Amino acid sequence: MPPIQHREDIMRWRQFLTPVTSISASKARNIMADQSPEAFNLVDVRQPGEYEAHHIPGAKLIPIAELDKRLDELDPAKPTLVY
Amino acid sequence: MLAGKGFENVMNMAGGIKAWDNPVAMGPQEQGLALFDGAESPENTLRIAYSLEAGLCDFYLSMTKRVQTITVQNLFQKLSNIEIKHQDRLFEEYLLVSGKRIDRDSFDKQITDFAVEGGLTTDEYITLFKPDLDSPEDVISLAMSIEAQALDLYTRASERGGDERSKAVLQKIAQEERTHLEQLGQLFNDL
Repeated sequence: MPPIQHREDIMRWRQFLTPVTSISASKARNIMADQSPEAFNLVDVRQPGEYEAHHIPGAKLIPIAELDKRLDELDPAKPTLVY
Repeated sequence: MLAGKGFENVMNMAGGIKAWDNPVAMGPQEQGLALFDGAESPENTLRIAYSLEAGLCDFYLSMTKRVQTITVQNLFQKLSNIEIKHQDRLFEEYLLVSGKRIDRDSFDKQITDFAVEGGLTTDEYITLFKPDLDSPEDVISLAMSIEAQALDLYTRASERGGDERSKAVLQKIAQEERTHLEQLGQLFNDL
């Protein structure tokens, strides 16, 4: 097993190398329309007040500051759409 | 953050919520969930969903008497018919899931009055959206907002822990709400 520092470096590199796709709102809408709600993660990373004012139907609220601690609430195998 | 933690397919919606020009839901994450106790059986989940559809159907029918324009009256009638069809489907699903033999009238008598589909009352919807009730565009927008709220409620309810069969029922209903939303969008485009 590599030393901790080395593992963290690998994680950082992986983060850079794993593509995060940017898609338009209309493409996002099409993706949602084509699949059942349980087939993807839809995550609202804004603050609770912003979510309450309005959010995409079915979105799960996980404020960005809590995201790393609440990853177990999401299925990594599913496509994940974030806004 | 997600991409480095095992999430293989992460998409960021460019422009965020401001770029989203489709119906939205509102309210806190727990809104309306009290209707669905996590321990509800699939039968009760269907009964509750049926009640919500019935509430919305009654709402649309009551609106036909409140508006003056014939076109809008017909539109409300059409919207109530959509809800009746959805109730038909939920009743069929109830019979299938419960294995019970019950006629529709007896089933209707078991239904409790709840808030309209989506977890808000009709007055709350009217106050929130302030639609011009003689404008077909406003009426469809109101209906789309209610469906969006319903889709949101069913999805949130399905994500709570509890009976797996209830979860599957809620996911299925949520998908049907999404289809309703698409149909209403088409109705809007056809005006």
